[in-house]
Amino acid sequence: MRLLNAIISDIRFQSKQGFYLVYVIITVMYLIILSLLPESFLRIALPLVVFSDPSVLGLFFIGGIIMLEKGQGVIQVLVVSPLTTGEYIIAKVISLSVVAVAAASAITILSSSETINWFLFLTSVVLTSGIFTLFGVVINAGCNNVNQYILKTIPYMLLLVLPCFSILGSPLLYPLTLVPSVAALRLMLGAFTQITWYESAGLTLYLLLANYLLYRYAVKIFENKIVFQD
Amino acid sequence: MIQIENLEFTYSNSNKKAINNMDFSIKKGEIFGFLGPSGAGKTTTQRLIIGLLRNYKGSIKVFGKERKSWGKEFYENIGVAFDFPNLYLKLSAEENLKLIGAYYKSGRRDPAPLLERVGLLAEKDVRTENFSKGMKMRLNFIRSIMHNPELMFFDEPTSGLDPVNAHIIKEIILEQKSAGKTIFLTTHNMTVAEQLCDRVAFIVDGKIVVTGSPKDLMLEHGKKILKIEYLKEEKITSEEFEMNSMGQNENFLELLRNYEIKTIHSCEATLEEIFIKLTGKNLL
Ligand SMILES: Nc1ncnc2c1ncn2[C@@H]1O[C@H](COP(=O)(O)OP(=O)(O)OP(=O)(O)O)[C@@H](O)[C@H]1O
Ligand SMILES: [Mg+2]
Repeated sequence: MRLLNAIISDIRFQSKQGFYLVYVIITVMYLIILSLLPESFLRIALPLVVFSDPSVLGLFFIGGIIMLEKGQGVIQVLVVSPLTTGEYIIAKVISLSVVAVAAASAITILSSSETINWFLFLTSVVLTSGIFTLFGVVINAGCNNVNQYILKTIPYMLLLVLPCFSILGSPLLYPLTLVPSVAALRLMLGAFTQITWYESAGLTLYLLLANYLLYRYAVKIFENKIVFQD
Repeated sequence: MIQIENLEFTYSNSNKKAINNMDFSIKKGEIFGFLGPSGAGKTTTQRLIIGLLRNYKGSIKVFGKERKSWGKEFYENIGVAFDFPNLYLKLSAEENLKLIGAYYKSGRRDPAPLLERVGLLAEKDVRTENFSKGMKMRLNFIRSIMHNPELMFFDEPTSGLDPVNAHIIKEIILEQKSAGKTIFLTTHNMTVAEQLCDRVAFIVDGKIVVTGSPKDLMLEHGKKILKIEYLKEEKITSEEFEMNSMGQNENFLELLRNYEIKTIHSCEATLEEIFIKLTGKNLL
């Protein structure tokens, strides 16, 4: 089972490179900050913090991972192995969403005793992680060093994060939910507060579609820029 | 095993043909060597066959099928060792082999014998970031043959290795050949080519200048002369003889009978000399 092996490889690579240590440190930092907040504030802050984990952090992690693989030249080895580009990318998505789920769950359980909708919570963490990891692959494919990656990530980050503030504004801004990160944030907030079944179903389907399209695009970009380098 | 016809290739960011109208074929069980100066197109040709470059003109047939129509399953039967080591630096030697091996149907063999063979068994649990260049190259090399591929591509397989380790790698390449495997290697190193290759192709500016077995080329381009050094009045003296009808050459026979012989050499050309003669270029 190549895909399974690729996921195991990714988890091993990420742990040996120290990514999980960084994750643990950041999670502990979040927990400390959240524990200092008053209960009323926590209700808003917690979903936002949890959301930032698979999104903003995820985007930088996937960047770091691919840069390291490029730098060590192992991507070239994978390219001449039977592992397909699709399997390579799915393994990245799954391995990173596993960590995101672990971290997000730990933060939620440890900082609040309120009941949440765990099904929506997990769905939104996984789908958010997918979107941002795939964006990371797309941004990364054409970069040769970390500086380039950071420079290219910033505009994407702004495009994905800024529209999220529309959630606080007038309902007229709802169409901005077409931006996948906004849809993901709405689903996450829904897990912590109230959401109609049809909105959550709609958001979930939309995010699944966005993940699928981004995946197809990421495979194409990866083959053009990394496999064939043309 | 490999048939190349009218192959042409230009990198998209360049307007000069990197490969220009190339034809050759490699038979099953053969070690085929690509020799040529830097920039000649050796790596480019290998990358085209391996499938890392696309939009070529002409035809590349591997295992009887056009390269373009192979999918990823192609790599189950291909081993590639690039000319620079590419390893997971934070993983140990053994972990590196197991991790990549897991992607092949037949890659889950015990890595110990191969590690032992290239003298890395004692270091199997050491992270490769602590390896020397030569150790990395050796690990890189065994990783490429670990899944027992039918066809192997080695780019400068002995570069950066000390003579002992270079010898081990050459021995393994010859063993692979005896096991019926086909090997396509590139090198600047004429000795390596002479020792290993059944046939070599000289390549300059994206074109093949000549192909043949090293032995045939050396004889064809050499002089049929024997050079002999012997001790005459306490001094080393040298003399040359035509190889034809040597048995009847009285001067030669007398020399053998009456003097202390120091060295005897035939004067076939070295590959290096042939290369310079045919291309007007130096190899390095
Ligand atoms: N990625 C690339 N983009 C554009 N041109 C390239 C690229 N790689 C190689 N070339 C050009 O193609 C030609 C053939 O290069 P190639 O790397 O195949 O040579 P080589 O015979 O392997 O040389 P060396 O012995 O130095 O490894 C050279 O003129 C080189 O400049
Ligand atoms: Mg080369």
